[in-house]
This record gives sequence, structure tokens and C-alpha cells, in this order.
Amino acid sequence: MSDTLWGLPAPQIDADLGEAAVTMRLDPTLYPLEVIYAAAYPFIARCWVVLDRDDAGRVSVVLTAKQAATAEQLRALVGEFANELLSSACRREITRQNRALIESVTTQAFGGAMGPPSLEELEAFDFTDEPFDDPLGIAQSWEDKYRKKPRDEGEGEGAP
Amino acid sequence: MRLQFHRALYAGSAIDQALQRFAALAHFDRSENATHFVVELRGLVDADGDATRRERRARRIGHALANLALGLTIERGGPDR
Repeated sequence: MSDTLWGLPAPQIDADLGEAAVTMRLDPTLYPLEVIYAAAYPFIARCWVVLDRDDAGRVSVVLTAKQAATAEQLRALVGEFANELLSSACRREITRQNRALIESVTTQAFGGAMGPPSLEELEAFDFTDEPFDDPLGIAQSWEDKYRKKPRDEGEGEGAP
Repeated sequence: MRLQFHRALYAGSAIDQALQRFAALAHFDRSENATHFVVELRGLVDADGDATRRERRARRIGHALANLALGLTIERGGPDR
């Protein structure tokens, strides 16, 4: 038997109050499987969780309360699951965006853990690289950058 | 009681491990078709109590089995490849 939970979109969510169960149908283009897994995992301790997939490729998440539950409690369960979905999707996106940075930091950490270079490595190192480009003068010292330029020798001789 | 686990969502190895864990509580048959792993709960090891109580216990075992299979699948990083 299908019931409606007030305030929640009917096409995506079915409720069976007799069984204390709700079914959510999720579009995997919005919520990839790893996001659904991440959201479902903490709910395993709280309720019975079953995943399935329909012919259209949507993933169904069935949450069944372990005890009898009211419509209000089921609505809260759905809301918490939806929040967890969004949170998981957000964490996944942040991780994706920062992947290059994380890999770079990890590589440097491993490089540092390997210890200082040996004499043979230093000997083989090519020091003939071009000096690095510093168009804004960031690497210059303050004295070099703002040193007063010497006056021309003839300047000031005719001054009163 | 019949449980179906979609092959694109559950790891077969996780289902096997969950079945081993619950083998002391109930008798299961495991099979599979093109889309699902199918688990049939044939009966309880301890068949005491009236029919309603046994039915409720069987449902609870089925739910717990499904939870464990999902948890193990997630811990393995998804379905078998």
C-alpha cells in the first residue's frame, strides 16, 4: 500500500505506513552510487536499508524502521537521508576539486620522507638551469629594489 | 521469504559472507539471475514458537542479512568487478 508523506515529492518517494517503510527513487546522474553508499552507510545502524535499481536506471533506497513508526517519523527519516545525500555529494565534489592539491602535497611529503639527496645524486644534478623568471621583482631584496640611484656627477654643480 | 540484491549494487562476495554469518539462524538458498543475486530463506534453524512469531523472526533475519550485505558491499567499495 502506498501512502503520501506530506511535503515530499510523490514521484520520488513512496511510503508504506503499515510496513513503516519509505522508498526513495534517486537519479544516479544527480547522486552517483558512491554518494548513495556514503549516505546509506550510517543509516544501517538505525533502520533496515535495501537498495535496488529499476529499468530506468534509477536507484531505489528502501528504509524500513526497526520499530513501528508514524508518518511524522518516516518523514523525518526521509529528510535526514536527503540531507545526508546532499552532504555526501558536496564532500565528493570538494574532494574532486582538491584532488590535484592533495596529490601534490602527498607527493612532496613522500619526497621529504625519502631523506636528503646523496652525494652521487647531488653530483649528477644539473645546476645549469636557467635562472627563474621574476618579472615583479619579488625575489629582490628591499635594498636592491629601493636603493637610491647615484646622482649624476655633473648634477648639482651649478646649483646655488 | 525471498530477497533480491541487484548485481550492480551489491557484491556477491559480501552476500556470501553475510549468509555465512547468518547460517546458524536460518537455512538459505542462494542463486542468481541476469540482474539479481537471489536469496531464499527456507526456514529457521530454531523453529519454536507460533507461526506469527516465526514469520516475524524470519523477516527480521532477512532485514538484518540485507543490512549486513549492504554494509560489507560498501566497505569493499561497491559491487565485485
